[in-house]
Amino acid sequence: MSEMHEIVSDNIRAALAEQGGRGDWLSKIQDEALADFERLGFPGKGLEQWKYTDISPLAAAYPDWLWTDSTAPQQPELPTLGIADADELVFVDGQYDAALSRLGPLPDGTFLGSIDDLAAQQPDVCQRLFGRLAASRSSAFVALNAALAGNGAALLVPAGVELPRPVVLTYLSATPHSSAQPRLLVDLAEGARATVVEHFCSLGAVIVNAVAELSCAQNSRLDYYKLQAEDPAAWHTAAQFAEVGRDAVLAATHLDIGAALARNELQVQLVAAGAHAETKGLFMADAQRHVESRVTVEHVAPHTTSRERYRGILGDRARGVFNGRIHVHAEAQKTAAELSNRNLLLNAGAEINTKPELEIYADDVKCAHGSTTGQLDQQSLFYLLTRGLDHTTARNMLITAFAAELLADIAIPAIAERAQQALAALRDASAPPPPVTPS
Amino acid sequence: MLIDINNLHVSVGGTEIIRGLNLQIRPGEVHAIMGPNGSGKSTLANTLAGREDYEVTAGSVQYKGADLLPLAPDERARAGVFLSFQYPVEIPGVTNVYMLKAALNARRKARGEEEIDSVGFMRLVREKAELMQLDKSFLSRGVNEGFSGGEKKRNEIFQMALLEPDLAILDETDSGLDIDALKVVANGVNSQRDGQRGFLLITHYQRLLDYIQPDFVHVLSKGQIIRSGTSELALELEANGYDEIVAAAR
Repeated sequence: MSEMHEIVSDNIRAALAEQGGRGDWLSKIQDEALADFERLGFPGKGLEQWKYTDISPLAAAYPDWLWTDSTAPQQPELPTLGIADADELVFVDGQYDAALSRLGPLPDGTFLGSIDDLAAQQPDVCQRLFGRLAASRSSAFVALNAALAGNGAALLVPAGVELPRPVVLTYLSATPHSSAQPRLLVDLAEGARATVVEHFCSLGAVIVNAVAELSCAQNSRLDYYKLQAEDPAAWHTAAQFAEVGRDAVLAATHLDIGAALARNELQVQLVAAGAHAETKGLFMADAQRHVESRVTVEHVAPHTTSRERYRGILGDRARGVFNGRIHVHAEAQKTAAELSNRNLLLNAGAEINTKPELEIYADDVKCAHGSTTGQLDQQSLFYLLTRGLDHTTARNMLITAFAAELLADIAIPAIAERAQQALAALRDASAPPPPVTPS
Repeated sequence: MLIDINNLHVSVGGTEIIRGLNLQIRPGEVHAIMGPNGSGKSTLANTLAGREDYEVTAGSVQYKGADLLPLAPDERARAGVFLSFQYPVEIPGVTNVYMLKAALNARRKARGEEEIDSVGFMRLVREKAELMQLDKSFLSRGVNEGFSGGEKKRNEIFQMALLEPDLAILDETDSGLDIDALKVVANGVNSQRDGQRGFLLITHYQRLLDYIQPDFVHVLSKGQIIRSGTSELALELEANGYDEIVAAAR
């Protein structure tokens, strides 16, 4: 895999040189990120964090797919979520598409637009935010995203302002064998409130490598949703880095329903007293797809709380990986944290590797973690059958119920509906043949 | 004949539990099966309901004149066989109301009736819930989720009242109930006695039979009915214990 990352970095270096460099702060970030990427290389399975996810096919595709010209039509058909009242930025093949985007009037002082526009209008702010939470030196994929940066979205909400509508960021990869490296910068000032939805979709085999930096100042609240609904042939890697300040709340919901290979990593830092993170994720896969969901919550300050709930539903020969880690720093007394992961395997060939971890250095804390994996509960199934429900109905009810708790409190119905559709498809695809009843 | 069980043998995990059981129930009759722990009471109930891992190795069961054994559990239920579970399962995420409506409509469809409309359904549910003294709030909760033992049993009888089976099998519905809950359950069962519906009460204790008068009482031991009689037999059991009757039958 080492040659691959050298080819990729040579490619990028050549392209950056061709562009002549912008000579601005971004060029500097790109150069540094490229150096980080060259040093790190694509992660191999030897690394603990990549033990269960083999990215060698992805790495092999990277050099050729890096600079594929977009062949997207002027008006591509957007697999829209149908959130009627929202401000939406659309990115097609990694490029901001102003014509497809729709922005309503926003409260004074709010910025919502492309990172390019932010860099042009408020260079200082852009420079301050870009890379503040996502460190290129920590991960090859973050470094790659930074090296290829220049596109993505930014949302700045001034103190005390609550956005009237959810912000939807739609990333459509419409050109097969292309790659996109979107970055999202969110900065909520003191007491600000916003709902942000990242929606990833694609047509065919593509590479998407996304990074988000989510900054929540004192007493703010961010409701963050990520819907990964990529094409079944797509490769999707993503990482979100969140910082949650005093009495602030991050509520993050991850729904992974697409991609041939998807890996998401959420890292949350609770940096001041009263900070709270509520994270949950539902990942599903069928066929021979691979989905990995990782979450790390760093309790840095005392009196911080978090709850992490993750569920996986896997059919056919799909592979799932869950890793959840709660890290309570020595200063973080009075931490309360609860991490749970439950997985449902719908077919005998499906597999999950799950690892919930607690790492605690403070002594006055309340932490719990647990994980279960199993097939449909046969007792419950029998119970429903004895009520006269046919096998398919009973099975569907139980599978739906497994996801229900996570989907129930999604405040945007369109997102929950999209997850329900995916769940129904997975249910039907994994259904056993009807039992043979002697006549 | 509502149900005719003939020389039934059932194995669970390779061990024979029911060993040649015979029992006939006519429409309208209430039969009680009593027996010590491990005598095969619950195995009989679960076998009649169609549990897959209970293997019938010999014998026959005719239900309304047709072979019951080839039918899947849901087919048996739609044909009017109801099992009240000894340990009703909790199913978080499936609300009671959702499950009940699907169950009722499945039963109605099997009887050639139209699906029930929402108003009619809610009226029916309210009426039966009142009978079983279940608070309406339970409807929107998950099936048996967070219910006390007594609530679970009342929910079973509530479902029975709603689904109106032809043969109701009550597997130790009285176990773990305090006297008030027992009266509610018995009242629910008695309200469903209509001269047509058959009941098979499986119980460890005579107490239940103070409130539900059976037509016949059978004593089960080691997978066979070793004695049958009227309700006096239950009193004799209560007075003398199982050991004496079991010993006398040898």
